[in-house]
Amino acid sequence: MAEARLPEKGLSYYRQIRNIVLGSITGLAFLVAVTPLLAIIYVAYDRGKEALSLSFVTTMPSGFPVGIEGGILNGIAGSLILIVLASLLSVPVGVWAGLYLWDQSHTRLAGVTRLLSDLLLGVPSVIWGVVGFYVFSTNTGWGLHWGFSGLAAGLTLGFIMIPIVTRVTEQALRDVPRSYIEGALALGATRFQVMRDLAIPAAITGIGTGILLGVLNVLGQTAPLVFTNYYNTGIPHSLVGSNGSVGDLAMQIFIYIHEPSKALHVKAMAAALVLTVIVLLLDMGIRLLSWGSRKYARKG
Amino acid sequence: MEQSAPMSGNLKIETKGFSAFYGKTQALRNVNFSVPEKKITAMIGPSGCGKSTFLRSLNRMNDFIPGFRMEGSALLDGEEIYGAAVNPVLLRQRVGMVFQKPNPFQMSIFENVAYGLRIQGVKSSSLVSDIVEKSLRAAALWDEVKDRLKGSAFALSGGQQQRLCIARALAVEPEVILLDEPASALDPISTARIEELMQDLKDRYTIAIVTHNMQQAARVSDYTAFFLDGTLVEVGETTKIFTNPDDSRTEDYITGRFG
Ligand SMILES: Nc1ncnc2c1ncn2[C@@H]1O[C@H](COP(=O)(O)OP(=O)(O)OP(=O)(O)O)[C@@H](O)[C@H]1O
Ligand SMILES: [Mg+2]
Repeated sequence: MAEARLPEKGLSYYRQIRNIVLGSITGLAFLVAVTPLLAIIYVAYDRGKEALSLSFVTTMPSGFPVGIEGGILNGIAGSLILIVLASLLSVPVGVWAGLYLWDQSHTRLAGVTRLLSDLLLGVPSVIWGVVGFYVFSTNTGWGLHWGFSGLAAGLTLGFIMIPIVTRVTEQALRDVPRSYIEGALALGATRFQVMRDLAIPAAITGIGTGILLGVLNVLGQTAPLVFTNYYNTGIPHSLVGSNGSVGDLAMQIFIYIHEPSKALHVKAMAAALVLTVIVLLLDMGIRLLSWGSRKYARKG
Repeated sequence: MEQSAPMSGNLKIETKGFSAFYGKTQALRNVNFSVPEKKITAMIGPSGCGKSTFLRSLNRMNDFIPGFRMEGSALLDGEEIYGAAVNPVLLRQRVGMVFQKPNPFQMSIFENVAYGLRIQGVKSSSLVSDIVEKSLRAAALWDEVKDRLKGSAFALSGGQQQRLCIARALAVEPEVILLDEPASALDPISTARIEELMQDLKDRYTIAIVTHNMQQAARVSDYTAFFLDGTLVEVGETTKIFTNPDDSRTEDYITGRFG
């Protein structure tokens, strides 16, 4: 057989070392990414395992102090209500704003809107909380006087979500190749038709991811809830006014951990595990959805 | 001032003193140009000389580029393309375009061709199917895709994708088809098919094509225009431009002395 080898040793030595170094860096990056996730799951599981059972997620808290017995259904249901309320406000507004910024990207008004939206993105959630308190919850002075309530908290969280959804929607639309848009315009499509038939379907995964990012953010918030909803161990009578507040998983963890009760600490960690699993499931759900929508997707 | 050579037949498109600007940069200077009806007109010239700008001015695709501005006059059947009463959406239905890189939509093969009809509100599904078939046949693609019309357009080869884009443009029955280097991303066999296709189409459509490929211009076109640095240097019958051009710069370019 003909010998057509690369130069011996020197180069291959260098290559071997380079491969080892690059390989280790990649491995390290993987570890850095995976360790915190495993740590969260492990710590939450180890500290909360005594409380884990199916009834933990299907029953309301009871006993004294409340929560010593029973589960966290109030928190799960409440978080769900808050997500729905926040999304009802932020998805239409945020997606519309993102579409507007993309379509009118070069106008001055769009520039100002984009700047303001990005500023809002940086406002700490505690500030949203106190503003939400004065606008929605307080019963003195001007405001909507809704009390500590699910609606007050849901809308406050919705306002936190709007700039997230806006930003990600605009970015997802910008990622749609220009040539693709031009193809439709050249056929005599209107801007609206291009948006409806091409831009949005091509960007839908990105937009969905944006909404999910917003939802995940909302799931983890406690500061705004402290001022607009606080927490409810029972079933709310309505979403506004007295006894209008809802349960919430993040608040539940926060409150249980502050109680001088070992049993509640265990419940808090079990609740933390449930919250983590919900987040992971949501994340996987959107990935599956986007995978399903790739039927006609571009190669590569 | 350059003057366009007299051309036989009807003039489908005519520009007079047409200039174009991107912000402060001038991309076209005072172009006087005619595209004869039901003929193939090729535009050649070195990169950046304004061929695409000119082509895209004819169906107002440049309207979407911030800072774009034109001066002078461009006429389609004697009507001002940039006239106040002109609806650019309707104009683009009359003046179709095929781009350098095939850009099929993220839809099935059938829906790609049907899209132009759908946006015009054509509801009858038998009419849509008929036109889709007719357009795919006209684009010499029917036999290759007739068994997988519901399949993704992205599964086609580059050459097939480009013919799909041509079929898509044909489906709305334009009067003019503008092609901006339609074969530059394709292999020689696909290129030959596109060239054949253009010959078939010119009985019914007015065709203007930008190309970097001199042989291609010589092979397919009836008229050839040479652009340089935003100006139209010379335009005339293709045989004349390639054998006996009036302007020495044209000769330099086609003999490969620059560009
Ligand atoms: N969107 C744009 N914004 C600003 N300048 C542009 C834009 N498009 C083109 N130009 C400029 O206008 C001039 C003409 O460009 P054009 O694309 O029309 O040339 P072309 O002849 O098609 O070149 P090529 O053969 O490389 O496609 C160039 O100087 C180019 O830099
Ligand atoms: Mg070009």
